[in-house]
Amino acid sequence: MGRILRLWVVACACITAAAPAFAQQPTPAGRIKVVSGDAVIVRGASTVPAQNGVAVYQSDSLRTGKDGRVGITLSDDTQVSIGPGSEVKLDSFVYDPGAGQLALVLKFIRGTAAYVSGQIAKLAPDAVRLETPAAIVGVRGTTLGIEVTSD
Amino acid sequence: MRGSVLPLLALVLAAAGCVPKKAQTPQPASSNLVVLLPDPGKTTAGRAVVSNDKGTLDLAEAGAAVRVTSGEAPKSTAVTPSDVQRIFGDALAALPPSPQHFVLYFRFDSEELTDESRRLVQDVLSVVKQRPDPEVVAIGHTDTTGTPASNVELGLRRANTVRTILVDAGLPASSIAVRSHGEGALLVRTADGVFEPRNRRVEITVR
Repeated sequence: MGRILRLWVVACACITAAAPAFAQQPTPAGRIKVVSGDAVIVRGASTVPAQNGVAVYQSDSLRTGKDGRVGITLSDDTQVSIGPGSEVKLDSFVYDPGAGQLALVLKFIRGTAAYVSGQIAKLAPDAVRLETPAAIVGVRGTTLGIEVTSD
Repeated sequence: MRGSVLPLLALVLAAAGCVPKKAQTPQPASSNLVVLLPDPGKTTAGRAVVSNDKGTLDLAEAGAAVRVTSGEAPKSTAVTPSDVQRIFGDALAALPPSPQHFVLYFRFDSEELTDESRRLVQDVLSVVKQRPDPEVVAIGHTDTTGTPASNVELGLRRANTVRTILVDAGLPASSIAVRSHGEGALLVRTADGVFEPRNRRVEITVR
């Protein structure tokens, strides 16, 4: 009896462990639409040159050098762009309105950024969180400029 | 005896300004500016709330701004349009063109566009052609006549009609995504089995 139960637990654990692996066909969160100068996507330990049309995924960061700019449009119509010497991380992005799964967390790490809200902010404003080192910004259908400086 | 020396030592260290905890983890003070800007192509703005564990401030009109420094409550501050341009000009210049939405309508039980929507196709094409690297999503929908399964297929045929029009106009097929919601996302809510022209549609987003 106990053994059967244990087998079940193991079997269930295996299925749960396998499920995310199946779902890991990553869909892009968005694409780079505007880029100039020195700009990269930081993905884990590697960097990808930012070019028009290149896909951006959840957990990616955008980073620019002294003369760089880059702008992306996410699949919920959210738009984010950064100026020179800047970095922003797409910490979390989930857009599946049919299943009611919505989340957007952006971390503004340094420099200057512009943000234009999309469908997630429209459908579930509380699912959007913009984080700066010193505060959290909640939005209600909004265009924002965000600057982060440290000294 | 030992118990009374340690707190004393701590007190002396603190008084001397050498509290070790702070020195070990230097946290650079961060100064953040948040400015509520007018929505693209409009003069009005939405709303935003800036908060941390020290306080909360609302931004409710275009040009309103908040300055937050680490460990302090958000404070409202004044920024002029020229400040906005100086600080955010580069970031704003890198904002992509706004996504555009279109709805094309179809004849009953058919993937044939209505005459009116046939004319609207030109607007879709002109927006697509203005963009350097356009991306199109076309989602097909139906009314509630017919079975849910056949409506998923009909919605997909409608979305594919849009895809064919765009490909014929020169857009690479790889930049067009088609999907169908069948009768699952009605524009006008109806009971099952109801003819409703406004539900027979393809919703198009151009990014």
